[in-house]
Amino acid sequence: MNKPLPEPIPASTEEAHVRWAAEYSAQIGADRAVHNRSGIPVRPLYTPLDVDPARFDADVGFPGQPPYTRGIYATMHRGRTWTQRQLIGLGTPAAYNARLTDILGQGGTAVSLIPCNSVFRGYDMDEVDEELLGTCGVVANSADHMATCLAGVDLATTSCAMNDPSPFTLLAFMLATAKRNGVDWRTISGTSNQSDYLSHYVANHMFFRLALPGARRILVDHIRWCNEHVPRWNPLSVVGQHTQQAGATPAESMAFTLAAAVQYADDCVAAGMSPDAFLPRFTFFFDVSISFFEEIAKFRAGRRIWARIARERWGARDPRSWRFKFHAQTSGVDLTRQQPLNNIARVTAQAIAGIFGGLQSLHTDAYDEALSCPTQFGARIAVATQNILREEAHLTDVIDPLGGSYYVEALTNEMEARVLAIMADVEAAGGMYRAVESGLVQRRIGESACRFQERIDRGEQTVVGVNAYQVDEDASARPALPKPDPAEMRAHLGAFTAWKAQRPAQAVAAALDGVARAANDGDANVFAAVVAAAEAGCTHGEICGTLRREVGFGMPLTVV
Amino acid sequence: MKRDATAVGAHARPDVALRLAAIRAGERAAIARAITAIENDIASARALSAALAADAGRAHVVGVTGPPGAGKSTLINALLAEFAARGRRIAVVAIDPSSPITGGAVLGDRVRMHAAGAAESVFIRSLASRGHAGGLAKATRRIVDLLDAAGFDAIVVETVGAGQSDVGIAALADTSVVVCPPGLGDDVQAIKAGILEIADVLVVNKGDQPAADRTEQELRDMLRLRAHRPGWAVRVLRTVATTGDGVPALVDALDAHATDAGRGRRLARAPAPPAATAVESRLRGFCAADPYQRLNALEFVESGPGTVTMRMRVAPQHLNFNGKCHGGAIFTLADSAFGVAANAYGVVAAGIDTHTTFQVAVSEGDVLTARSLEVSRNAKIAVYRVDVTRGDGTVVASFTGTVFMTRRPHQARPDDLRP
Amino acid sequence: MDIRPKVLVTKIGLDGHDRGSRVVAAHLRDAGMEVVYTPPWQKIEAVVKLAMEEDVDVIGVSSLATDHLIVPKLMAALRDAGLTDVVVIVGGIVPDADEQALLDVGVARVFHPGSPLDEISAYITEATARVRAARFPA
Ligand SMILES: Nc1nc2c(ncn2[C@@H]2O[C@H](COP(=O)(O)OP(=O)(O)O)[C@@H](O)[C@H]2O)c(=O)[nH]1
Ligand SMILES: [Mg+2]
Repeated sequence: MNKPLPEPIPASTEEAHVRWAAEYSAQIGADRAVHNRSGIPVRPLYTPLDVDPARFDADVGFPGQPPYTRGIYATMHRGRTWTQRQLIGLGTPAAYNARLTDILGQGGTAVSLIPCNSVFRGYDMDEVDEELLGTCGVVANSADHMATCLAGVDLATTSCAMNDPSPFTLLAFMLATAKRNGVDWRTISGTSNQSDYLSHYVANHMFFRLALPGARRILVDHIRWCNEHVPRWNPLSVVGQHTQQAGATPAESMAFTLAAAVQYADDCVAAGMSPDAFLPRFTFFFDVSISFFEEIAKFRAGRRIWARIARERWGARDPRSWRFKFHAQTSGVDLTRQQPLNNIARVTAQAIAGIFGGLQSLHTDAYDEALSCPTQFGARIAVATQNILREEAHLTDVIDPLGGSYYVEALTNEMEARVLAIMADVEAAGGMYRAVESGLVQRRIGESACRFQERIDRGEQTVVGVNAYQVDEDASARPALPKPDPAEMRAHLGAFTAWKAQRPAQAVAAALDGVARAANDGDANVFAAVVAAAEAGCTHGEICGTLRREVGFGMPLTVV
Repeated sequence: MKRDATAVGAHARPDVALRLAAIRAGERAAIARAITAIENDIASARALSAALAADAGRAHVVGVTGPPGAGKSTLINALLAEFAARGRRIAVVAIDPSSPITGGAVLGDRVRMHAAGAAESVFIRSLASRGHAGGLAKATRRIVDLLDAAGFDAIVVETVGAGQSDVGIAALADTSVVVCPPGLGDDVQAIKAGILEIADVLVVNKGDQPAADRTEQELRDMLRLRAHRPGWAVRVLRTVATTGDGVPALVDALDAHATDAGRGRRLARAPAPPAATAVESRLRGFCAADPYQRLNALEFVESGPGTVTMRMRVAPQHLNFNGKCHGGAIFTLADSAFGVAANAYGVVAAGIDTHTTFQVAVSEGDVLTARSLEVSRNAKIAVYRVDVTRGDGTVVASFTGTVFMTRRPHQARPDDLRP
Repeated sequence: MDIRPKVLVTKIGLDGHDRGSRVVAAHLRDAGMEVVYTPPWQKIEAVVKLAMEEDVDVIGVSSLATDHLIVPKLMAALRDAGLTDVVVIVGGIVPDADEQALLDVGVARVFHPGSPLDEISAYITEATARVRAARFPA
């Protein structure tokens, strides 16, 4: 005997929705509350009721046009995919050059350079514990070292990104090298990746080098000088990665990053620069966590907000000023020491989120980055992951493939609202510089970091292999820390000290004096003096030491 | 060697003598370990403190107080550099608040003293307040005495900086420095009744900020309205702790105060509590004359030097809507033990600040005992701690309170003194 | 005796990634401990002086980017200063091969990423009881 079929209900009616809701409640029993990392409640189902069709123009639109939700270029990844930029650096300049050559041969399309932690701290190699030299990056202290690092690279055609905080000595060394080789500075392209001193002060003390007022002034000098002399160079990359890795939620990290960009642009305007001169060279750098849809919504919302601010706050008219160009790196925070090969799966999910979020440039972490600086083996898999996603998986066939998803559009709107609310708090505190100085930003990040850790400790957030699905592991599966060859490093150190001793002392002293004088003269350009010092044979430690003396170090305010 | 567990005192503990010598010789590790013993009230520390008492009174003890963020720690860092330049050996005791909930604390002051704190001539010790009121830790006085005996030229004490109640330092220091951040503005009126009163030197720090001018002016105006203390005119100074500007002048002022008012003055300041039996009947009389105590059926048990014990049986009238003892009733008991003890000195002591933590719920029929302890005292301010315990010894509430000592004697009201 | 651990949470060397040390410091505070927290880049001599003056029970060194390689120098400096009764633990990214080297020079324990915070505080509580019993025999 056949039961009569249930009466079909047109799906667009309220009644259909109600029937689904009733069935859902009956079947699921006690529903759990779901929130994303930014604290936004996530419902089990999204429908046309969650997006307002009348707001298509204002909220969604077309790629390459305001509001830029769907991408900053008309062609997006269907045209040109993204720059594959693996951040690398280890050991001596010669060892770095060998690794770089390998990466470029594997499909990498741009140079990146991570210097040794001693460089980040502003020291030369003869000023620190020898055990630590080159364990996390390349030991590059002079224009000669930079020439070795970049040997064989055509600077006029290859984009270079440097992890190079204020006062940007690595760029100065590269420019000195370029001039020596007859390369026109106007052809050089790339990015000063660690120019966002506020994010360093707040969240990544690794890169923090000079006291806030000095860093603030030198950044404006740097932007102005680069715009004039190296016009294809991006002197500023505003870094959301630091805040998010320090524990900010994706919404907080986007908000603090945009607020910092607003501060930097305001400072440039206050220094008499025209918005359409510097905004096209602003770039951004974000962490992509494994919270898949939230990250996609974060990037879509960020693009929309930036385009609006650029027009409304500074009256920028050049569409290039409105474009929210960003590099993304898969988040090392999500990677685990336990069962490290699982990290390959995590990186893949993170990378797809970044790609669907519309990134311009991508670094995929090596699976062993949670254990040590990545091995060559790990770095190759990371590059291959990008190749597979780009060329095998059909991810780039359609522009903004998740656009129009009820969930993704609704979530984009909610992330935008949350980001704007946090930005309003920062603005009320007097802008990002003041909010950072007062510790407001640090406090918020600290609270979020503790909340997230507690969720993991309580098991509310599963981390495979850490608080769930643990297995007894064979420790040998974990790679050893690659250490630079001690003999090579000692030879590098010896050569450096010998070279230092035979330089023309007077020229070096005069150039350093020039740096000191520029630091104390509001009309001079400090970065111009740094470039001159690099050309005169001054070392990294000498230039940083001079500025540390003149503008101060200033311990970052730490909030526990 | 097997220790004789029953023996106490220097005779049975030859190591005490050794440790004494090490402390007097200024040995860092020995000093640090002795501070831990005092802080945790370890029995051997008493013998040590007693033996060192005679050595106290040589160092200049400088108290530094002021609201959080005023720049106290940063200023002490600058002071250390200036003291070092003048060839002096300095100890710092920096107190940070403990969480009233967990008892945990982050001791963050010395981070700001990083630059000058590295010097051999400097000794820095951080303490958690551990629920003690008045901006100090309970053991601060004994620790200062120890550092004094260890031969430091000056001992700088940084208080918690919780605000108006941070006045305990005045009883402990030879010279009290109050650090004011700029922009205090309208608040000056509000806080002058509190910590500004105890200042020997007022410092407007963050002198690099525009609002500093106005704050400095307001403080000067305020001082003009106030009666001069004999022997010392309170100074107002301006500093930038982050650069050291104005700090040499501050050290000059501290030195001048030490000369004028005398170092070691702190020792003379703390009067010995009056003999017990003489006052006990008077205190009993206060209780009998207190209508509110009678209303709550409080019972005076005993008194001793600086301490009063009172009792209350929890009756239906003391309960709240949950059927447990009302917090107000427990507070009343603690507050009474505090108030009566503070009034043992012949003048009216006016309560100005209290803090109570309730730890355990109390039921009808429980007998609660409150015992107050005098923690610090000077001519104007005294601080008390009260523990309220249940019959089984459990501490159910901790209370701290501060009184202002007026000059008014108690009015004899013979009628009320009837038993 | 009521034992409240006093712990130094610090970072030596050149790395500045201090999220881990801050989270741990906050957790230990919330677990009722008294925590002296320092920013990164501490000099070894400064850590020794601090540990001595504060008379801490436990020193926790956070290392995320190879700074554990100079922990043996710290251990030697503590020994030279006579601080042999303080318990030193290391937390962060320490490859297995290096872990044994740290244990060999006297580090009491290495906590890896993903260690539950409660495990760290429980270990410190237990270590402190041992340290105090030795420092203040009844
Ligand atoms: N601009 C300025 N900032 C200062 C000065 N003194 C202290 N600070 C800053 O004020 C903040 C709080 O200082 P801190 O010494 O910790 O204050 P405390 O809470 O009173 O001990 C820190 O960020 C200091 O760097 C000063 O003279 N000028
Ligand atoms: Mg302080």
